[in-house]
Amino acid sequence: MENVLAGIKKRSTILLILILALGFGSIVCRLFYLQIIQGEELSQKAVDQQLSDTTVSAKRGSILDRNGNTLASSASVWKVILAPAYFENDKQRKYVSQELASILGLREEDVYELASNSNSYYQTVKRRIESDERDKILAFVDKLSQQYERLTNVIVLEEDFKRYYPYNDFAAAVIGFTGSDGQGLSGIEFQYDSYLTGTPGRIITENNGWGTTMPFEYQQKEDAHDGNSLVLTIDETVQHFLEKYLKQGIIDYKVVEGAVAVCVNVKTGEVLGMAVENSFDLNNPYEIADENAAKELEKLTGQAKDERMTELLAKQWRNKAISDTYYPGSVFKVITASAVLEENAGSLSSTYNCSGSYIPYEGEKAINCHNTAGHGTQTFAEALCNSCNPAFMQMGQALGMQKYWEYFQSFGFNSRTGIDLPGEGVGLFFAEPWGPVDLAIGSFGQGVSVTPIEMVTAVSAVANGGNLVKPYLVKQILDDKGNVVETNEPVIKRQVISKDTAEKIAEIMEKNATEGTAKNGYVAGYRIAGKTGTSEKIGNSRKPNVKDYIASYCGFAPADDPQIALLVYFDTPTGEAYYGSQVAAPVFAGIMSEICPYLGIETQYTEEELEYVDTVAGNYLSMTLEEAGQKAIQDGFEPFVCGEGNNVVAQVPQAGSKIPRGGRVVLFTTQNSTSETTIVPDMVGMSVEQVNETAAEYNINVSFSGSVEQEGILSYAQSINPRERVAPGTVVTVYFGNNDIDDTVM
Amino acid sequence: MYTNYDLDKFSSTDAKTNVKAEKKPVKSIPLSRQARTKKKFRFLSIGEGLDFVFLLSIAGVLIIGLIMMFSASYPYAYHRYGNSYYFISRQIGFAGIGIVIMFALSYFDYHHLHFWAPVSLAVAWLLMLLVLIIPSGSDPDAPKRWLNIGFFGIQASEVCKFALILFFANWGSIYYKKMHTIKYGVIPALGVLAVTGILLYAEPHYSGIVICLLIVAVMLFLSGLPFKYFIAAGVFVAAAVSLMAVTGKLTYAMSRLDGWGQALEYTTNEMWQTTWQTRNSLYAIGSGGLLGMGFGQSRQKYLYLPEPQNDFVFAIVCEELGLIGALVILALFGFLVFRGIRICKEAKDMFGRLLGVGLMAQIGLQVVLNILVITDWLPNTGISLPFFSYGGSSLIMLLAQMGIVLNISRTANIQKE
Repeated sequence: MENVLAGIKKRSTILLILILALGFGSIVCRLFYLQIIQGEELSQKAVDQQLSDTTVSAKRGSILDRNGNTLASSASVWKVILAPAYFENDKQRKYVSQELASILGLREEDVYELASNSNSYYQTVKRRIESDERDKILAFVDKLSQQYERLTNVIVLEEDFKRYYPYNDFAAAVIGFTGSDGQGLSGIEFQYDSYLTGTPGRIITENNGWGTTMPFEYQQKEDAHDGNSLVLTIDETVQHFLEKYLKQGIIDYKVVEGAVAVCVNVKTGEVLGMAVENSFDLNNPYEIADENAAKELEKLTGQAKDERMTELLAKQWRNKAISDTYYPGSVFKVITASAVLEENAGSLSSTYNCSGSYIPYEGEKAINCHNTAGHGTQTFAEALCNSCNPAFMQMGQALGMQKYWEYFQSFGFNSRTGIDLPGEGVGLFFAEPWGPVDLAIGSFGQGVSVTPIEMVTAVSAVANGGNLVKPYLVKQILDDKGNVVETNEPVIKRQVISKDTAEKIAEIMEKNATEGTAKNGYVAGYRIAGKTGTSEKIGNSRKPNVKDYIASYCGFAPADDPQIALLVYFDTPTGEAYYGSQVAAPVFAGIMSEICPYLGIETQYTEEELEYVDTVAGNYLSMTLEEAGQKAIQDGFEPFVCGEGNNVVAQVPQAGSKIPRGGRVVLFTTQNSTSETTIVPDMVGMSVEQVNETAAEYNINVSFSGSVEQEGILSYAQSINPRERVAPGTVVTVYFGNNDIDDTVM
Repeated sequence: MYTNYDLDKFSSTDAKTNVKAEKKPVKSIPLSRQARTKKKFRFLSIGEGLDFVFLLSIAGVLIIGLIMMFSASYPYAYHRYGNSYYFISRQIGFAGIGIVIMFALSYFDYHHLHFWAPVSLAVAWLLMLLVLIIPSGSDPDAPKRWLNIGFFGIQASEVCKFALILFFANWGSIYYKKMHTIKYGVIPALGVLAVTGILLYAEPHYSGIVICLLIVAVMLFLSGLPFKYFIAAGVFVAAAVSLMAVTGKLTYAMSRLDGWGQALEYTTNEMWQTTWQTRNSLYAIGSGGLLGMGFGQSRQKYLYLPEPQNDFVFAIVCEELGLIGALVILALFGFLVFRGIRICKEAKDMFGRLLGVGLMAQIGLQVVLNILVITDWLPNTGISLPFFSYGGSSLIMLLAQMGIVLNISRTANIQKE
């Protein structure tokens, strides 16, 4: 018995030791491991699930034009999140799906499918809802939380921002667009993304297992810092005119591969306007803007469609003004001429003979001039005004290939201009070894490629006295309160030619624009300097047996103190006219005639021109016929009366519109008389006098465009088509210019 | 009033011989008289002969358990019942009942339990049978563990644990000479275990099977069953588990075992759900670190850790009090078990020793198993933490058992403090 009792004692002790040493011992080890060694990690995981970290989106900065007009801005939108984990049963799930679908205009099945992910706390139902839908959702959430306490957090709205472009396709290539997460994808939006984005803030709150707040005072808030806004160098008005005239030019000349117009401040490099047509709607960048292409795309299916779509989008988004390279053609003669003068390889007194063609190197084929009859003996200035290829081949030879290459580089053609846009291309020089033919054709702008922005920058250097400036688009960076944070200052890269040379060339270019091959780009009252260019897209045409051309015009104004330079460039005009002088020059003139007055460039009319200067029509409404007649005569107009009343009830042209001095003002005295119309006559191919007579006959006004003071100049276009019916006194702009062919096309 | 022990012939003789064999036969003086001579305890007649240190340890564990259970449970109670005090008020009530029973049993001579040993087992089995028959809830697939008697449910397995200890303490004290034989040492144990196991399996309550198995093993070990039988039992358990697996009716247990040890490395959504409770327990324990988040400062009790008042209450303790606090509580538990076993192994007779040590071992085992479960070293099987976890049956049974141990302490041959 005692043995047994002692045995129990012994075994009890063993048991106690086993429990304490093995059992409690392992627990202590385990707790030590979990709380001390793994504690940090576990507690982090616990914190992760307890804290709800809400990101507060920062508002993306706006993009403004130089005068503060908004080109791109962001507005609040909301993302609808569903947390199906809170649903207790299928009835709730169905109910919420149904309500959400009807508020958001979605299919109920789709929402129900999202709601069926029963473990999930984050199902995105719809993105970017606007405030009307948000208000409905909030009302529903209120109602829901009263019905089912558990469903208070089943629907969450996250604030987000949507990008709006108020002018749709306006300056699309420059501004660029953003992706679904608000990140810049092209243009300024991409280039300045880090400035525009801002810093998102966070709100960290501690939540219990069901997503509602815990009774601990714990909330940490980091404010969002809204993105910086950008003030562009772009002037909305200038940009508007560029786009307007380019669009018209594309229609008039059946341009199929797009067009570019770039206007820069020659002294600073500020880009006042950069139009790339055909444009696209920044609010719908993924929609094919070209209707024909869109129709063609509709016919395709499957992979072919996707591929074509990608291709079309890439084309649509491409900023031709900085990405495309082209043979500059005769515009490049300005550069060659500058180099020759600067290097004393020729002077203003040098003469060049043209027999209609020129053999640049013994044994080579003769290269023709556009004037196959030959220009005869020309001075340096005449050679540029005639755009004579043989003369320039001779100049090139006088300059030499090495110098030609040096100037090609120093004018910035072989390097990016550094403009603050993504995807800038770079012009290409001849591949080595260089041949004598290379130099010959290079001297008149064939065989070397440039980008439009490189070209306009190089011409700006001639305009501003020889300095190569860096073009730029962003003038200022503003913080979210509108204070200036950064200012982009003009950068002069280098002096490429002397002031003297630059002034000489500018003078010749002005002459060229008034009486040379570039005269179609002339605008009365402004001292325009310009040069046309036409080049064949060798090896780059739409079809192998078709010749495609690029028509361009580059010039600046005013010639005596250049302020702005403008390049107009049409890629593949397919109408009858395709020369720079026929296609690009009138558009250049049209744009200059609008932006020069807008920019306040002083007018300097010649005496002949003064005759044709437009005058502003006064307001003659509500006057008696007599008073109105007298005032109109005082203002320098010829009054015409329609109707039998005594008071003026309407007038054409409207008060404030421009008509030439001595033009007609039609005064209507009865309401029904305003319905009288007249037919627009065909005034193309007429001299100035003939146009005046015809206009008088048909009782319409004429505004003259082009260098009308020149002898023998004829009209080539009119702003309102013949045979259209218009009110008497309506102003029809008639474009004068000459139809001379200016360029050689290789 | 405690002099006339109604000893049966075995234990009375045992006790007398034993007392005489002790080197310090101080305890030969009748306890009542001895107690009376200790004047300092006179004012506390209720404590006459009691081991006060043991009583204090019980009080300590119980009070800390109640406080921590309250801290862990109030957010869930508020959420579930709209009343933060739902669990604690009921638990205090159970504790009150338990304390009364404990003191009552501390006066109740444990030798009377000889008679109750087989009866209690029969009652436990009957309860377990009733649990299976009487529908307790709406969900037919939910485990049937409680017997609803009006205001509160009896968890039959809690009664069973006690019944098994009592039964084998009685059996061992009767057949101590034959315990090494298969007929007395093994067969009855296997029979009792089989019936108990089947009833628990039917509920199903697998952790109950495990704890009952361990209890019977402890009792047989104390009774002197040779070691070879334990090896045999191990083989039997392995076989039984295999059999259950073969029958394919292991789904519930499997679902609990599924994801065991993978709470932090869940790969599927389903596993993420299954291991939710264990994972959040680990998060809570880890969050505590060395010093804890501070009393009442647990975050995990805010609906992350499901039912924090039950088996996983100690995870919240770890979170709030840190490793230091957890070790203090473990030390208290350890001391309770140590003190209890030290008292009971010196009980006057074999029955007292087997019964007392068995009861204390049960507490130790449950503490160890519970904490191994909440720390993901054992599958999440539903073993409660003595004195801490919410539950009337458990708490009342525990306090009743402590009453028996206190009663044993009155006559045990130890230095009372």
